Amino acid sequence: MNATKRQNSLLLALLFCLPIVAFVHLYVGQIELTFTDYLDSIFSFDSQNTKHLIVRELRLPRMAMGIMAGAGLSIAGLLMQTLFNNPLAGPYILGINSGSSLFVALTLMTGIPFFTSDFGMIANSLIGAFLFGTIILFFSTVVRMQISLLLIGLMLGSFTAAIVAMIQTASDAQDLKMFTLWALGSLQKVELSQLPLIIAVFAIGLFGALLAVKPLNILVLGETEARLLGVNIRRVRLFIILITALITGLITAFCGPIAFVGLAIPNLVRILFKSQNHRILILSSTIIGAIFILICDISIQFMEPYFIVPINALTSIVGAPFVILLVLKRLR
Amino acid sequence: MIVTKGLHIGYKSSIAEVQDIKLDAGVYILIGKNGSGKSTLLKTIAGQLDSIQGAIEINGKEIKSIRKSNLPKLISFVGSKFPDVDFLKVVDYIALGRSPHNDFFGRKTARDAEVIDQAIDTLQIQDLKNRFTSQLSDGERQLAAIAQALTQETSIIILDEPTAFLDYLNKKIVLENLIKISAKFNKCILLSSHDIDLSIDAQRPFLVVRKDTNTIELLAAETSKNTIVSIAF
Repeated sequence: MNATKRQNSLLLALLFCLPIVAFVHLYVGQIELTFTDYLDSIFSFDSQNTKHLIVRELRLPRMAMGIMAGAGLSIAGLLMQTLFNNPLAGPYILGINSGSSLFVALTLMTGIPFFTSDFGMIANSLIGAFLFGTIILFFSTVVRMQISLLLIGLMLGSFTAAIVAMIQTASDAQDLKMFTLWALGSLQKVELSQLPLIIAVFAIGLFGALLAVKPLNILVLGETEARLLGVNIRRVRLFIILITALITGLITAFCGPIAFVGLAIPNLVRILFKSQNHRILILSSTIIGAIFILICDISIQFMEPYFIVPINALTSIVGAPFVILLVLKRLR
Repeated sequence: MIVTKGLHIGYKSSIAEVQDIKLDAGVYILIGKNGSGKSTLLKTIAGQLDSIQGAIEINGKEIKSIRKSNLPKLISFVGSKFPDVDFLKVVDYIALGRSPHNDFFGRKTARDAEVIDQAIDTLQIQDLKNRFTSQLSDGERQLAAIAQALTQETSIIILDEPTAFLDYLNKKIVLENLIKISAKFNKCILLSSHDIDLSIDAQRPFLVVRKDTNTIELLAAETSKNTIVSIAF
């Protein structure tokens, strides 16, 4: 009972932190605002005031995207780790992002008009994520060792990178620039008008993940045990891959491939909460993932006057050492 | 509780034939050489593997006609490998045995809590309750796994080599617990084992895989060690 209490207060504390971090995130940026301006832009918005517009049109979408990117990738990572029974699994390392990248590269650089629309890009990113998710799912039923699946994911990544490089050499300078910027990762490309769609898709993903709590809790024991306890493995696998592809594809389409969040955050959450209850793990991954990305993005904006750090670079700089530490401490 | 008719078991082709048997409440010990089909038989009876030929009836129902989602309410299966999971408390691990009875969201009822407590009491592992499963010894793991099977409230429990990897004392504890559970709750418990002496001490009926013909037959509890050894090895 004591442990449950501790988990609940921890969750509550995190829930309290998120709006604070979000509030700070909204305040910082290249264009300096007085605190009064900032508060006014929230509480008495004036569409004639440029500063108010900056907060609403530029910073708000960036913040919302940050929250959803961090939360979404963490959920996707958690689901994959449980499904594959592998604490080092994640949408990036298993190549789900690569699927999105490949299809986005086709979108941005082939010049086929349908593809270049917003909708076309999201659709392609989703298709790519789902396709590669299915490939990984297939391999997961064939390989026995945990490390094999990770290697296959990395190989998928290299393979796609090669194809993307080939597409790049054949494309013109403008498209190439667009793709390169996309690949560096950014939360800034989202516009206010796109937010409802992104929020809707994200909500479906989160809701779907919460629907799978019971099978996820059993899957912790491995597929054989789960089957013995009546879990319909085929159905659950497909459902989880659909959810992770949906979330990863969505976020990758708008923010580019963001590394390590999906791998690191769920592990951090498990260590913090010392639990395998996925109701708690999903909720806390959502919140911690969101806080993590927002803090990364706040740091990026502080560094901006001196040098520009793409979000993907920063998550890797923080995430990679954490993962190495994790391997050394727990998985040797 | 378990009745077989003309049963042939195997993965692609028949590797063993089971003489028609009828298992009621009680403990049955399955003995045979490595690779003689012990695990295959257990998996087939547990409904995890289709038989090559013949019929298995579980509580009077042909196993193939039982829905997969209902099977865990009739038969619980304790595998030979204990899942290696971090941050999973013993009590939560045991509680997963209730999942076939829980609703879609896996919510626990008061009755679930009762059954879980009862299983923990039966195996006398109250002191393990709040430990993590990763901190348990092999013997403790086996008891936790049996407790989980108990919470499934099935009339049949099948265990694949529950005494392997255990020292003598723990082997005895596990076996004694199984005998106690079978008597107390009127369950049919079928386990495979390599510990001939311990099994003979237990004085329970045997299922033995005949070494030359690979037929599996039921022998009475009084069968002598020599007879069993000469048939199986």
